[in-house]
Amino acid sequence: MTESLNKFPGAMWPQFHRKNDEHLNPYYTFQDYRQTWGMTIFILMMTALLPLVVMTLIYYQLIETSINTESLLRTERLASNARRAVTFFLEERLAALTFTVNEMGYDQLTNPGHLSEVLRNLKLGFGGLTDLSVIADSGTQVTYAGPFNLEGKDYSNQPWFMECQQHSACVSEIFSGYRDVPHIVVAVKSMRPDGRLFVLRATLETERLIQALSSYKTGEHADIFLVNRNGLLQTPSQFYEGESHHMNIPLPAYSDRTRAVMSTDRNGQPILIGYAFIDTTIAPTSFLLMVVKQKAGMMKVWLDLRSNINWFFGVSALIIAIVITLTSTVMVNQIFQADRQKAETMVAAERNCQLASIGQLAAGVAHEINNPLALINETAGYVKDLFTIKQQYKEDPDLLEHIDSIIDAVERCGTITRQLLGFARRFDVQNQPIDLNEMVADVINFHKKEAEYRNIKIHVDIPETIPLIETDRGKLQQIILNLVNNAFQAIANGCFLDIRAEMDGPEHVRLFIRDNGCGISEDHLNKVFEPFFTTKKEGQGTGLGLSITYGLVQKLHGNITVQSKTGQGTTFVVTLPVQIKKESQS
Amino acid sequence: MKHFDILIVDDEQRYADMLAKRLGLRSLTCKVCYDGQTAIDIVGEEFFSVVILDLRLPDLYGTEVLTWIKQCRPETTVIILTGHGTEKDREQCMARGAHSFMNKPLDIDRLVTIMTGIKESYRHD
Repeated sequence: MTESLNKFPGAMWPQFHRKNDEHLNPYYTFQDYRQTWGMTIFILMMTALLPLVVMTLIYYQLIETSINTESLLRTERLASNARRAVTFFLEERLAALTFTVNEMGYDQLTNPGHLSEVLRNLKLGFGGLTDLSVIADSGTQVTYAGPFNLEGKDYSNQPWFMECQQHSACVSEIFSGYRDVPHIVVAVKSMRPDGRLFVLRATLETERLIQALSSYKTGEHADIFLVNRNGLLQTPSQFYEGESHHMNIPLPAYSDRTRAVMSTDRNGQPILIGYAFIDTTIAPTSFLLMVVKQKAGMMKVWLDLRSNINWFFGVSALIIAIVITLTSTVMVNQIFQADRQKAETMVAAERNCQLASIGQLAAGVAHEINNPLALINETAGYVKDLFTIKQQYKEDPDLLEHIDSIIDAVERCGTITRQLLGFARRFDVQNQPIDLNEMVADVINFHKKEAEYRNIKIHVDIPETIPLIETDRGKLQQIILNLVNNAFQAIANGCFLDIRAEMDGPEHVRLFIRDNGCGISEDHLNKVFEPFFTTKKEGQGTGLGLSITYGLVQKLHGNITVQSKTGQGTTFVVTLPVQIKKESQS
Repeated sequence: MKHFDILIVDDEQRYADMLAKRLGLRSLTCKVCYDGQTAIDIVGEEFFSVVILDLRLPDLYGTEVLTWIKQCRPETTVIILTGHGTEKDREQCMARGAHSFMNKPLDIDRLVTIMTGIKESYRHD
């Protein structure tokens, strides 16, 4: 569990380690695996998420448009119904007055007893009437029926009276009047028998109108009220009463039919306004019916749903993103690993090829040099023969020493050419079972004296469990000898040499030869197996030891690697098959 | 006592001459020739106790010359002296009847020791 937790950051943010891998760069398929990884994720995300986002946005747009249309329609319907109620309220009362004035005539109406009876009948029939009075064309009240004694009052300056002069009937705005009680005056004009005009006036209670309007209110965010054409509130408004009883939202433009529009309130909140200019068939009025709804309230259901959809969308997108990231990471990582293996194989193949061609060259050089060497050897030998035979020179040790040094030099060159050929040639491998422990002990024996003399500790740890290895004795001996030689040259007196072995799977054995000597610098580490590469002083090494070792290990179908740190020591790791397969031999 | 004649076959003329001189100094008379066909001709005409044969000859392979000599003159001892011969070369030559196989540059004392051995065996015959 913890292991998979530790792997998680790597799976989400892979490293694509390329440190110390610069030599592999030419063989990678992609220059920048992080960029490839990023691009893959980006393209997959876009392909998966973009259509989803676009679809969701279109869906939101459609839903919002349809909700807006529906809300406007509903607001308009509500305003229309309320308008009908208000219009009916006024028309009913105007019609009753018109009927009364035509039926009774001036004489009967000016009779206070009759007028009181009419008032009583009207109250019974319709209700909501406070008083009734007859006013002469001069504006003076002639007869009054009702709870207040207003006889003789002059109405000539009242706006409703002046309007009534022009039309056959009139409806006043809601005003407080002499009694300081909000009311509406409705009046109907008629003719006296003498041809002069008179007006039958009734006062209506506003309570009934307000109640009628309130009954249309739906929801807590809706408001229905009346204003006059200047925006002065006629009935109370729950939310939109501003300064000096004016409503605080803009007055809509005139329209002869009910309409609904979108707007914003003074706080900038979106609202829906349904409105209607109210006119009765008998008389015009100055009323404007307003139905105002807060859009937020109407959208609440949709907003809740949208929030749920957003959550669902967000979680889905997150899951898609994680899946895409993990999948891409795994895929790109696999490509990277495969590429890396390929690159390593290519580099190894290139090095083998290089080593092989250098080997061929070396073989050629060795052959060519060998003939003159042989000739020099024979000539020098001949000269030596001559000197040895002639007594006078035989006594001259100086001369013979020089000749001997020539022959020595030839011998040394001969050794080098033999080594070169050994490196280049493909000797047949002769397999036999070998006890690694015994072989290492044999090789160590060669160096026992030197180790004692130089106080070098040799530690060998080859477990009993290591099986017999079927391989070529001579070559394996040469490999171990070369590596031990190499280590002895690298370490100072008093250091140690550690040789150990372990199984690498059931079919391979790994042999570690570790010293704590001078180490190999990072620059040189890649070159140690190249022929003629040496850091030793001239004349001390041919630079062939490790490349021959490399060739020998390859011949035994094994593998040799080196790890080293300057100043800390070097470890050569030789991996060999327990049994060389027959087919790979051929 | 039989004659003890030696033939040196080597494409490198100066080398062959020089070797002949050195062996001459050690009382071993040598003839020299520089290619395979001449060697076959000479050996066909004349008996040699020992043939010192190089493997790399301009016209024939040393092994062919060796095979021929061992067929026609089975008593003749053949010593192979070559630049770096491989293990395989050595095995082949020994299988075809070569007495010994030596690499250049030559250790003259070893050659002389071998010669002396052969000479001794001849004497006993």
